Amino acid sequence: MNRIETHASGPSGQLSEKPPGIEVDYPEETVGTPLVSNPKMSVRNVDVSYSGKQAIHNVTLDIGKHEVIAMIGPSGCGKSTFLRCLNRMNDTIEGCGVSGLITLDGEDIYAADMDPVALRAKVGIVFQKPNPFPKSIYDNVAYGPRLHGLASSRAEIDEIVEVSLTRAGLWNEVKDRLEQPGTGFSGGQQQRLCIARAIAISPDVILMDEPCSALDPIASAKIEELIAELSQNYTIAIVTHSMQQAARVSNRTAYFHLGRLVEVNDTEKIFTAPTHQLTEAYITGRIG
Amino acid sequence: MTNLTPASREQKIQRGLKKRHRAERRFRIYGASAIIFGLMCVFLLFADIISKGHKAFLLTYINLEVVYDQDALGVDDPADAIQMSSGDFHGVVKAGLRNRFLDVNGRKNKRELYSIISNGAGYELRDSLKDKPALLNKTIKVWLIADDDIDTYYKSLGDKTGPFKGRMTDNKEVWLQELMRSGDVETRFNFSFFSQGDSREPELAGIRGAAMGSFYTLVITIFLAFPLGVAAAVYLEEFAPRNRWTDLIEVNINNLAAVPSIIFGLLGLAVFINFFHVPRSVPLVGGLVLTLMTLPTIIISSRAAIKSVPPSIREAAIGVGASPMQVVLHHVLPLAMPGMLTGAIIGMARALGETAPLLMIGMVAFIVDIPNGFTDPATALPVQIFLWADSPERAFVEKTSAAIMVLLAFLVVMNTFAVVLRKRLERRWS
Repeated sequence: MNRIETHASGPSGQLSEKPPGIEVDYPEETVGTPLVSNPKMSVRNVDVSYSGKQAIHNVTLDIGKHEVIAMIGPSGCGKSTFLRCLNRMNDTIEGCGVSGLITLDGEDIYAADMDPVALRAKVGIVFQKPNPFPKSIYDNVAYGPRLHGLASSRAEIDEIVEVSLTRAGLWNEVKDRLEQPGTGFSGGQQQRLCIARAIAISPDVILMDEPCSALDPIASAKIEELIAELSQNYTIAIVTHSMQQAARVSNRTAYFHLGRLVEVNDTEKIFTAPTHQLTEAYITGRIG
Repeated sequence: MTNLTPASREQKIQRGLKKRHRAERRFRIYGASAIIFGLMCVFLLFADIISKGHKAFLLTYINLEVVYDQDALGVDDPADAIQMSSGDFHGVVKAGLRNRFLDVNGRKNKRELYSIISNGAGYELRDSLKDKPALLNKTIKVWLIADDDIDTYYKSLGDKTGPFKGRMTDNKEVWLQELMRSGDVETRFNFSFFSQGDSREPELAGIRGAAMGSFYTLVITIFLAFPLGVAAAVYLEEFAPRNRWTDLIEVNINNLAAVPSIIFGLLGLAVFINFFHVPRSVPLVGGLVLTLMTLPTIIISSRAAIKSVPPSIREAAIGVGASPMQVVLHHVLPLAMPGMLTGAIIGMARALGETAPLLMIGMVAFIVDIPNGFTDPATALPVQIFLWADSPERAFVEKTSAAIMVLLAFLVVMNTFAVVLRKRLERRWS
């Protein structure tokens, strides 16, 4: 088999590290269609560095309304870092610097007067490992709405909890044990609880950072179904290691390589007729 | 790689295995014997303390007929506080003794006779007259506290090595024998040990003053050290930037935890007493000094507890839009609380047993009154142990051991409380 090893582990991002055997020049610009009309979020010329080490180079990308955009690429290519810029989760990491422009509905989310707390109420996130709070299921889901004062009465919170759990496909499984700790469930249920927690604050955008990587195939399938349903109401950006998953759930796919956004295209196109050689190498399994 | 035939390889492995098994056994025996040695030391310590100290919980009483004679007392109205305080109740005790042993003559012998009853007996009579004014001019039989020499002798009568004589004279022995024959001597549970303050007379000395002193001191310590320590730990772990200054602070905190406690006493003397003019010998200043001493311990253990909260919980909270303070208050602190409490209780236990810094700030004084607040002069339990161990009377030996038992009981109660609290909090959050 014609498998080629690359040095793509870690956000080294050195341009000279071309995958051996693949004779290409790094693109100065992303190929495909990174821009869409009337985007929900747009990213322009964003660089991210950790304590001086550059992890993301000059990424420009639009995320359309109510679309599911998948981000794929080898480990350490910067896709998770990029995702975390979209709701400023990277703020908590010391030495992390973001430059460029990221907007949500035309508003600069890194502007001085943008409160990250308010931003995260609009851009929710689901993490790689299910991380419910060590509290009851009810409190897990009700935490966000209470925090942001979205409900004024117990009845309203009850309703939010029920709607969120229903949308996350968990209501029928847990409606009789809402007072049980959320940490006592299976991994797939916990992850759906985390999704319920994220949608309880009615965000516009949901970021998902490899939401299925800690789950078995059956639980993953449920989450994927859920993503398809949620995409009717939310804009979803999902980072995934699984190309099949990206192919199944997303409308558009972005391929990252060593901190660069190499190609963005409709999912169907990227998996059937990738434009860039690196993308092709990745989806055919020659690098990764 | 050398060429081994399967047989010789097997042989080599077998030989090595035996050796390994032997080493394994030895290793376990080392561990087990270390535990046995430790347990034996603890057992010896407890056996020694309890065998010496258990007698302190008993006190010898002598039954004596006394007359509340109005003229002898110089009291005609028991409700009059001034008369009562100047009344010669001790004279009544002496008269009772003279009547009991009519054949004792001569000043010297009489003085000897008077000394078999404690100096405190007069105060007991006064208190009972105050409670029951009708007793005036009545003749009644009362149980009075025996002097410590009698007490020690009487309680050691059954010992294999024979009774401890000490300052007992032949006369006193004869009188005691006579009282015993008529059933006028008995030991009772020593309630006053738990209700009285310190005294020069061993039979009157109690632990309550020191226990209350320790209590007030620890209240100050926990209410200052715990919030300060937790606040410092939270700031350093969750908010402070990592730079040269925070590194310096961290190194200093770790160093402070290792500073000998007497240095903190000197610091307290210089800063709190000489500069801020806080009164000497009071639980307030003792608590302040012990706060300084326990603060580094609490900060270090709280930081460890905060560090052990999984980062995924913090991320989850930030992800749904919690502000940094909400992350700390809603998630980090509740999850870290059991660990922080454990650290705090360990710090408190150390503060409870601390003597040296208290010596420097005057909490070593002889204080009879039981402190009623944070600014009353007081000693503390370990200081009381030190004071009694230093006293010449034989009866203080058992008092010392009894005080150690009380201190240990305090520690056990505190630790049990900590364990229970931790278990409850852990159940709540997981």
